[in-house]
Amino acid sequence: MAGTKTVKDLMVGVFDFPHIPYWFTIRQAIGIIRVSFLSTKKYPQPMAILVFDEKYNLLGTLGLKDILRGLEPRFLRPTTKAQVHAEDESGLSVLWDTPFDTESKKNAERPVSEVMTSTKFFVKPEDPITKAAYLMVHNDLALLPVLEDKKKFVGLIRMIEIFDELSTAILAE
Amino acid sequence: MIKQERSVNRDKPQKLYIQLLDIIRERIEAGEWPVGSQIPIEEELCRVYGVSKATVRFAVLELVRKGYLKRQQGKGTFVCKRVIPEGLTMSSSFKELMLEHGIAYTTILLAQTVLMPIDDLDVKLEIPENTHVIYIKRLRSVEGEPAVIQESFIPHHICPSLLKEDVVENSLFELFENKYDITITGVRDFIEVAYSSAGESKLLGLPKDSPVLLLEQHFYSGESQIMYMRSVKRPERFRLSIDFKKKE
Repeated sequence: MAGTKTVKDLMVGVFDFPHIPYWFTIRQAIGIIRVSFLSTKKYPQPMAILVFDEKYNLLGTLGLKDILRGLEPRFLRPTTKAQVHAEDESGLSVLWDTPFDTESKKNAERPVSEVMTSTKFFVKPEDPITKAAYLMVHNDLALLPVLEDKKKFVGLIRMIEIFDELSTAILAE
Repeated sequence: MIKQERSVNRDKPQKLYIQLLDIIRERIEAGEWPVGSQIPIEEELCRVYGVSKATVRFAVLELVRKGYLKRQQGKGTFVCKRVIPEGLTMSSSFKELMLEHGIAYTTILLAQTVLMPIDDLDVKLEIPENTHVIYIKRLRSVEGEPAVIQESFIPHHICPSLLKEDVVENSLFELFENKYDITITGVRDFIEVAYSSAGESKLLGLPKDSPVLLLEQHFYSGESQIMYMRSVKRPERFRLSIDFKKKE
């Protein structure tokens, strides 16, 4: 029964994911994504890098979406004053081409700490997996850190294992 | 275009990068690539010799170490006049090369974390690019004055527990040898005068671009490199003295 499973039953190792400190640039992170995932043709879910501080505390995760958002030229970002309709993307391809060589390349020199998804939510090894599922669904996350005693980083739990477990239970019932 | 006369032989037991290194060295020694000339770019060498980028980088870096080539940031790799004499195989003890021997230090830990290799770190540590590396950065002061920035890079699989060790009170060498039973059997040192970066200047209390002593050390246990250490030192604090003994 899925409800009886705990986070530690499905947890994956920290070293399954590349590690970087927060001062690495987006450009350096892109290089690591290419070496660790793209060039090996391994596409793990989620394709993410873990970002740490000087004392090996987890600060956040950096996924492909975070990187692309970090590279995005400023003028393409919606503002509250000039909010465009979500479907109105006219001229986007024209706008993207030229600035990609200029502002986006400049943006690639920003530290990853500016664009990563900060770690705000975590689970404990003994938590039920339904708690992890709830946090992921309601906070748009595919990965959650597992902390022991609210401090010691012992592993990660991913959406894919939770989905597998919960969907198996649903089909069985 | 490179004229290809010799190529690497994958059936040979010798590592590919060593074969490529020999080919490049022969071209230099034969005067085919004269002093001051730029050698072909990485991609060209990969294409001509049918080897990977990593193989080319290992071979080139080794030739840089041996004094045949010099890399210039943003310009390329050039053949240089060799200043490192060969044929003198000497041995000396590690402590003599540490420079810090006999000096009382205070240490501030600036970082003890994990990273993936960037720039040339994979080549320097002789590891695959996707290897986790423990990164330890310490600032050492003498009589209250910052004197050395020491950055140590250790492949995580060599000694995972090092992440939790007290590296302020304990030396990495003592931890390796006494606690983890990893015997250091060799060290390769490279010493040069460099200019401090903005970050290094700030930590050492120097104006930007000040001359500093850069010591790069590669520590081996048998055939495996277990640590690469980069130390940036205020030059006026150090006097290098090494005693050599000819190998038996």
